[in-house]
Amino acid sequence: MVRVEPPLEPDPVIEAYKRDIDRTLIRENLRRSVEERFLNLMALQRFAEELSRAGRNARTAP
Amino acid sequence: MTDFPALLRCLSGAGVEYIVVGGAAATAHGSARLTQDLDVVYRRSGENIRRLASALGPHRPYLRGAPPGLPFQWDVRTLERGLNFTLATALGAIDLWGEIAGGGTYEALLPDCVTLEVFGTTCRCLGLERLIRVKRAAGRPKDLEAIAELEAILEERGRARS
Repeated sequence: MVRVEPPLEPDPVIEAYKRDIDRTLIRENLRRSVEERFLNLMALQRFAEELSRAGRNARTAP
Repeated sequence: MTDFPALLRCLSGAGVEYIVVGGAAATAHGSARLTQDLDVVYRRSGENIRRLASALGPHRPYLRGAPPGLPFQWDVRTLERGLNFTLATALGAIDLWGEIAGGGTYEALLPDCVTLEVFGTTCRCLGLERLIRVKRAAGRPKDLEAIAELEAILEERGRARS
């Protein structure tokens, strides 16, 4: 038997957050393949790690 | 860094029954948000637990964030006694969920999965609408922004179709 869920009702709090979502990034991602999305995520992780490392170094530098 | 391709190949290659959920599932659906780990819900059957134990075993799983040197043993018994595991491995961070808040078990999520063909392997991923429902039901304030983005993705997909 197929389970039929009621449609998602708009939640006012989530709607408020939605106003700040950058839809250009979403549209760009939707044009990519799933593999490309994961590879981008890994590149973002590397970038975040590098920033974090640079921040640590800056704090410990004399 | 978490090596998503290697983790997915490791689990699928060993025949582990699992569903990608959380931030990695959001990425698969088009999210641009940064996530650090792979979240999966795994089937709690004896056979699957054995597969999971031997698949991750060679990659030195250890409790993420725990001090080194704890008597943590990655084996079938540990998996049977626990339910959810937050792990660091040689391939990166992975969270194993026996069940998730707002979503339940592997079996409960299975009807709402999509199949992904990625990195030369096949895996199940929670469908976008169910992912939103699960995150809404979990009711964590930290998820609000992620839910908003997922709902925006759903709308953008709808627009692209119409």
